[in-house]
Amino acid sequence: MGSSKIIRTIAQKLFPFIMLFGFYLISNGHLSPGGGFQGGVVLGTAIILLALSHGIEQTEKIFKSRWLNMLEKLGILTLIFLGFLGIFFGYSFLGNFLPLGRPGQITSGGLMLPFNIAIGIKVAAGVSAIFYALIKYRGEI
Amino acid sequence: MSIHIPILIIILPLLAAFLVLLTRKYKIVLAAVSIITSIVFTLTLSSRVLSNDKITYHLGGWRGPLGVSLVIDGLGFFFSLIALGLGLLVIIYSIPEKRYSRTYYFLLLVSLSSMIGVIYTADIFNMYVFYELLSLAVYLLIAYPKTGVTLRASFSYLIMGGVGLSFFLLGVGFLYAMTGTLDIFHIAERLPAAFNSSMQMVIMSFVLIATGMGIKIAVFPLHGWLPDAHSMAPSPVSALLSGVTVKIGIYCLIRVVYTAFSAEMFFLINSHNILMVLGVVSLLFGASMALAQKDLKRLLAYSTINQLGVVLIGLGIGTEMGLTGALFHVLNHAIMKSTLFFCAGIMITETGTREVKGLSGFGRQQPAITFAFIVASLGMIGIPPVNGFASKWLICLAAVEAGYTILVVIILVASAISAAYYFRVIQVLFSNPPEQNHIPAHEEGQVIHKGNLFRVLPIYILAAGCLLLGIVPALGISLAKPAVSLLLSYVVP
Amino acid sequence: MNPVNISLLVFMIGLYGVMSKNNLIKKIMGLTIMNGSIVLFFISIGYRKGGLAPILEKGTTGGIPTTIFVDPLPQALMLTAIVIGISVTALALALIVKIYSKYKTLDIQQLSKER
Repeated sequence: MGSSKIIRTIAQKLFPFIMLFGFYLISNGHLSPGGGFQGGVVLGTAIILLALSHGIEQTEKIFKSRWLNMLEKLGILTLIFLGFLGIFFGYSFLGNFLPLGRPGQITSGGLMLPFNIAIGIKVAAGVSAIFYALIKYRGEI
Repeated sequence: MSIHIPILIIILPLLAAFLVLLTRKYKIVLAAVSIITSIVFTLTLSSRVLSNDKITYHLGGWRGPLGVSLVIDGLGFFFSLIALGLGLLVIIYSIPEKRYSRTYYFLLLVSLSSMIGVIYTADIFNMYVFYELLSLAVYLLIAYPKTGVTLRASFSYLIMGGVGLSFFLLGVGFLYAMTGTLDIFHIAERLPAAFNSSMQMVIMSFVLIATGMGIKIAVFPLHGWLPDAHSMAPSPVSALLSGVTVKIGIYCLIRVVYTAFSAEMFFLINSHNILMVLGVVSLLFGASMALAQKDLKRLLAYSTINQLGVVLIGLGIGTEMGLTGALFHVLNHAIMKSTLFFCAGIMITETGTREVKGLSGFGRQQPAITFAFIVASLGMIGIPPVNGFASKWLICLAAVEAGYTILVVIILVASAISAAYYFRVIQVLFSNPPEQNHIPAHEEGQVIHKGNLFRVLPIYILAAGCLLLGIVPALGISLAKPAVSLLLSYVVP
Repeated sequence: MNPVNISLLVFMIGLYGVMSKNNLIKKIMGLTIMNGSIVLFFISIGYRKGGLAPILEKGTTGGIPTTIFVDPLPQALMLTAIVIGISVTALALALIVKIYSKYKTLDIQQLSKER
């Protein structure tokens, strides 16, 4: 199962770059347009691209749907946990306890960066899990 | 730690919701423990709230119009206590049903958490987001058995609810355009100036928000989704829907009308009269439609429209006694209607039919459940030793005081009609069983035999609550008192 | 005609679609149109003629009057509203798939006749 060799090769070569772009959007989201949600969707589309070009069985060997489902829940739990850390460090819920750097630096967002990472993981896992569910749906229409 | 209680009440059920998805064994324990913890946290605030204190919590440390803050005052405390208490009972009632997987508890916890979110948040857009989250969870809960009728009911609710929340959001947009802030208390400060300069815009946003919430409350012309959704859902979900979810709409209406728009404006554009007329119409409509129903749960659903009409009349009168009566009736209706739906769930699983006729003989098999049913339905009609009487009496007194004697007549007529349909059910309960030939129950599944503690315990608790609040109505009134004094403080600044 | 009026017009079109169409998918389309009109409404509230994107470039910290930026708050709100709208639409379509597999029709008139 799968598409022609050209598509498979190009998808394989494109995959790391799409992933890289997704990580860039996630990690730079508090400084420029982008953010956890957008980056997460880009990461999810990278997995979808693999699934479309190489077939779902091949893709599931690397990105197992059980792990994706687990990651999705871990993403939101991390988010809530980060919120609780704010309370733990003596600020309010979701309060920023990380040191703030100079504006423009990657650390200047404080809690934004871990937040974006957690959201990115959740969204990437969610998007690809939804796509898996759609591609595997064999019910009556 | 104690200053973080408002957010903990919201976030603990949400945290438990996602933990429930990761576990298989401990789903019920997790759900129950998180809700109990939330109730305990809420009760620790009671002494402060009941002395008319306002508890504010700034999320992330951002104050004022910039950030989202949570505010617990008398009104929010009152409604959140109803939501959490009933939520716990609904979870207990669902325990014996083995078909309810962890997704069910996940949705239940998400809906409860977002209800508390709607109630506590002071940011009006955040209110919309929480309300939409609540609605999504509720649509899925209605469609949970995945039979044809539940899917259809869920879909019609989704369409109506989506339209209603779109209206609400558009109204929020107008508010933001006029005041430049989303915090309800800041909107309240800035709105009088906007009202003088552009009255049409203010009225437009008021009408949009009121229409949107009207769909969610199911006042008469916008009620189309309610009978299907409330009757087809699984019984614990029906209890949650009729008991709490509809009340969240009432809460939003009160909050937006009294806090964001001043009550002054509310009376200035005569909207309390409109509220009263809508209340009267849905009162009579709900009562007369319930009279014609053959399906037990459908009858109860129409009865919800009837009782919400009473609440709207109380709100429309708008005096101290009227508001007390309306809020007390919200509490009473939550208790009574969930008792009825819990009983109906047991009756349907035991007799295997949803039809009223098919219930014959149930009263002799299970007298205790039937007694609870009778107590709650007497409350619905408004017969003295039960709580429904106290709140209806308050509303009638308020109507006489405010000079709307005709309203008393209407409420009495509606009570007579509801007596007619509830007594019909009670009569059937005690009659002899005829030959079996009924429309099939949509709630098939494992039959839970009598004596299952988790099934009957919530019913006994709620029925005891009915009687307690009926004999000592001061308990409920004292709970509603801070809310009423808060609302009145907006009327006379 | 300013964008606020246009968005209200589109809102009414969406409402008409929800109310009058018999096909379930067309109803959902109407709901989506309403959602889109609200997005347009909020964005047009926050729009300022000739305004910049509200991002501080590197090196331009401070000193810039905020009046040259468009209002970023409605845009942020609308990101949330769009996501919510998509989840409602997705849920509705999933329900439609299930309804169709049960009743083999999407017409609401025929559906209401079914028992």
